[in-house]
Amino acid sequence: MTTDPSSAEAPVVRPLPNDAYVRMTLVLRLGLGLSLALLGGGIVAYLWSNPGATSSSVLAQNPIGQYLSVSGLVSGLLAGSLGAFLTLGIVLLILTPVVRVLSGLYYFRKVGERAMTAITFTVFVLLLVGLFVIGPLLR
Amino acid sequence: MVRMWGRVDLGLFVALLILVAFAAGLVGSLTGLGGGVVVIPLLIVLFGTSVPVAIGTGFVTILATSSATGAAYVRDHLSDLRIGMFLEVATVPGALIGATLTVFLTHSNLDSALLIALGVVLLAIIPGSLSRRGIEFPALLPPDATSKKLGLTGEYHDLAQDQDVPYQAHRTPPALGVMFGAGVVSGTFGIGGGVFKVLALERFMNLPMKVSTATSNFMIGVTAAAGAGVMLSAGYVNPIVAAPVALGTASGAYLGSKVLPGLRNRTVRLLFLPVIAALAVEVILRGLGLA
Repeated sequence: MTTDPSSAEAPVVRPLPNDAYVRMTLVLRLGLGLSLALLGGGIVAYLWSNPGATSSSVLAQNPIGQYLSVSGLVSGLLAGSLGAFLTLGIVLLILTPVVRVLSGLYYFRKVGERAMTAITFTVFVLLLVGLFVIGPLLR
Repeated sequence: MVRMWGRVDLGLFVALLILVAFAAGLVGSLTGLGGGVVVIPLLIVLFGTSVPVAIGTGFVTILATSSATGAAYVRDHLSDLRIGMFLEVATVPGALIGATLTVFLTHSNLDSALLIALGVVLLAIIPGSLSRRGIEFPALLPPDATSKKLGLTGEYHDLAQDQDVPYQAHRTPPALGVMFGAGVVSGTFGIGGGVFKVLALERFMNLPMKVSTATSNFMIGVTAAAGAGVMLSAGYVNPIVAAPVALGTASGAYLGSKVLPGLRNRTVRLLFLPVIAALAVEVILRGLGLA
């Protein structure tokens, strides 16, 4: 391996603490585990409670249409609706990388990296805009 | 074929989805192409889902796969969070635009245009996947102004060579441009676009192969979250299709990354690529109304 002399110009980087990597690994495992458990259990329960259903009925209409708003999802979960739990599984899957970004934001701020904090905050806001603004507008 | 699957018992339909997704996740992991490039056209061609629902399922697949295989990359500090987060400023808006375009085309009854474009993108992935540079330890090149300002540099410990490998990002502006394009493609078609992301990380930014792969994995998850958010809220993620596909692909990808790393070679890739090419052609023919 060769090293270019200009590498001496590279800035001093404040590395993220090991704690950041450990917690992000935990976020990934926990988010995926919870989500797949909800989706797996939800599918089994859906098949159990819909004997004789065919694929055409499922493909013709999305069974979670009424749970796509925060209020709809919360009331569906409180009512114990299967569709709401399946929706929660999908939401958790989406939120896993979002939480990862959020923890990046926390650690960049903690080590005092203002530019990286601003960049990470921008990414976080854009993700929320997609979920809560653009998607509902397109429905 | 669509009519045949349209009438099958839901239990059988779900079991077949899991099986096909498992195989796609396994082979996709071994080849580094991801399962989505096969799952999305198969959902349309074999299982009779609509184009936007197949794309919405593609996002869910990517999210599950990225999280299933990404934890080890983060734990081993191979995913460069600084570089990945910086490039997400380009891929996330790209994905939001792409997903919006998909919903717009669907609402305008232009699914056929979407199908043709999907087929073309799948065909474009093939040469890209064959031309990967694959240099383990590239020589350090001088960082550009952005790279210097943000400290886009790092080091990882290579276990195979038992040495610390330093790296620093080079040519970040063109890489940002490629990442924006990768985000649009990913957002429009529900694929990870790892081929394009690794291209930008390896060839433009001069990062080592393992860092490129791991950082691309991290980025794919975040980009997919942007696209998935739009598609879920717009009503194009059907959990009865997405859940079995996510379960199958994630377990296939996990097995591929853990149990059979020795098989990740050119031969598997060369066997897999004709399948993608055939599906791409089928999708294009459908878009043209010829299949």
